[in-house]
Amino acid sequence: MSEIAAVEVKNLVKDFKGPFRGKQVHAVRDVSLQIAPGEVYGLIGPNGSGKSTTMKAVLGLVAPTSGSCAIFGRNSTKVDSRSEVGFLPENPYFYKHLTAAETVRFYGKLCGMRGRVLKERIEEMLELVGLQDARDRRLRGFSKGMLQRIGLAQALVQDPRLVILDEPTAGVDPKGSREIRDLILELKNRGITVFLCSHLLEQVQEICDRVGIIHEGVLVNEGRLDDLISVENETELILQNASPELMEQIRTLVEVTHGAGIVSEGQARTTLENLFLKETQTKAVSRVRKERKRLSK
Amino acid sequence: MSRPVSTSFFSPRRVLIIAQSTVTQLVRMKIFYFLAPVALLFLGLQFFDALWFEGPEALMPEQELRMHKNICLGTMMLFTSLFAIVSTALLIPGDIEDRTLYTILCKPVPRLDYLIGKLVGVIAVIFIAMLVMDVLLVATLHFRTEEKLLVMTDYMVKIGYPEREIAAGRAEIAAHGPTMILQFGVLSHFLKACVIAAVALLISTFSTSTLFTIATSAMIWIIGSFQSIARDGLFNDATFGEAPGWADKIVGTLISLVFPDFQLFEAISDAAARAENVLPADMAQLAGLSAVYIGIYVVLSWFVFSDKEF
Repeated sequence: MSEIAAVEVKNLVKDFKGPFRGKQVHAVRDVSLQIAPGEVYGLIGPNGSGKSTTMKAVLGLVAPTSGSCAIFGRNSTKVDSRSEVGFLPENPYFYKHLTAAETVRFYGKLCGMRGRVLKERIEEMLELVGLQDARDRRLRGFSKGMLQRIGLAQALVQDPRLVILDEPTAGVDPKGSREIRDLILELKNRGITVFLCSHLLEQVQEICDRVGIIHEGVLVNEGRLDDLISVENETELILQNASPELMEQIRTLVEVTHGAGIVSEGQARTTLENLFLKETQTKAVSRVRKERKRLSK
Repeated sequence: MSRPVSTSFFSPRRVLIIAQSTVTQLVRMKIFYFLAPVALLFLGLQFFDALWFEGPEALMPEQELRMHKNICLGTMMLFTSLFAIVSTALLIPGDIEDRTLYTILCKPVPRLDYLIGKLVGVIAVIFIAMLVMDVLLVATLHFRTEEKLLVMTDYMVKIGYPEREIAAGRAEIAAHGPTMILQFGVLSHFLKACVIAAVALLISTFSTSTLFTIATSAMIWIIGSFQSIARDGLFNDATFGEAPGWADKIVGTLISLVFPDFQLFEAISDAAARAENVLPADMAQLAGLSAVYIGIYVVLSWFVFSDKEF
């Protein structure tokens, strides 16, 4: 990478001391990774594998035992590095006494924004996350999904070049989850670098350019998603409206080709999430139509 | 898109933003509701004089006014001190427990700004509460003093006191009314509450729970209130009739270094209640001492908090 990396983690080691001089916990062991500007990078791993500690080290919330982290070339332990980062923690909590608009305003002000620019940005952010109608409602009454959205709004308020998302769709329904995913793709299109942690591998697969797999504090595999998940000696072919005759011809052709074989064959499937979204949207549309019909009578 | 900006080591604007948010938070937590019982107490005190002003053991008007001031100043001290401990203890551990702190510190906010912002917010709320209580105190004391002046003047005229003695008697009663010296007493309690808030801030930087912060801060408050008595016992030969040993001296010095001496604040308040002369220079000295205490506790808080991991 010739240009400055959005995130650069070099030989990061983080140990936590056990209570009363107990056993040391090695949370992260010699992790190194680089995220290029504009890239969507997913860090995946089981619970307790060191994902969140790595993120916290990047954000300067924990100090590395050894190694270093940098954001756009600036050491993560320095406050300056955070002017270009937006962070959404897992299960975010904000001041419950503030309204949605006040929350975004508070974080905007912390980033040095003020006046008309901030006012416009608040409206823009609330619209982006679909919370205009709830702008004057206090966060005390917000659902988990709404809190996640306001979390995204505050993370993006200063228009950062890097967004760090820890389980961005945790506790959000499939529709909200899809919207957050679309938003991440939108950020990517705008050239914003996204560094995310998620348990939902399917989502990571859908949106990430590169993925790192961390296990017991060690980055066990890392690379471009396409390279990591493609099976070298297998090819997938999905056909539409294929007649039995055509299928038979393909099978025959494969049989006569030396070394080739069909590994599996069957009906193409959608995902449960797609089915859910399709069904709920169809039902909602038909209910609205029926309601309109009833009212017009 | 944002471009790299240099974040200053300390920014009064950011401190103000955090302080403002802290005030909003405490106000919306309905913290000012505690002023209602205080107001009731202050107003209720007005009705007690009739019982004391009759019979051979009746209190003199100035004694009665002093008692009024003592009760009011004591209430103000108690409420503001407790308020300083509880509100400070609720804020920082609360932010850590519910992870609001993550989102704040992930913005370009130096930890010093966050700490000072929280402290300034708490002090601002204490100031507002103190102001309300002070207005109540001044108003109730004013009416009570006027009433006493009227009754005493009538009484002295009726008995036939000379004009000069009536004037002297009136001046003595008026000295126990709402004077500038009384304001020094109020100010001493405000300064004391600010120091207590700074102590609670320090504890909350290494504490893991709100309860621990409240308990430890309250303990320091109590020790600080009695440390001068303990020091007298350890350093003064006359108190216990024997010379203090080197161990006593070390303990005494450590106590005076670690715990703030709240007796100094009480001394000003007591003098104000007795309507004794309190010099502005004494008050300035106390303000200076408070600033030193607060400064030390903030620096120590920052020292602990700057390396804290979340």
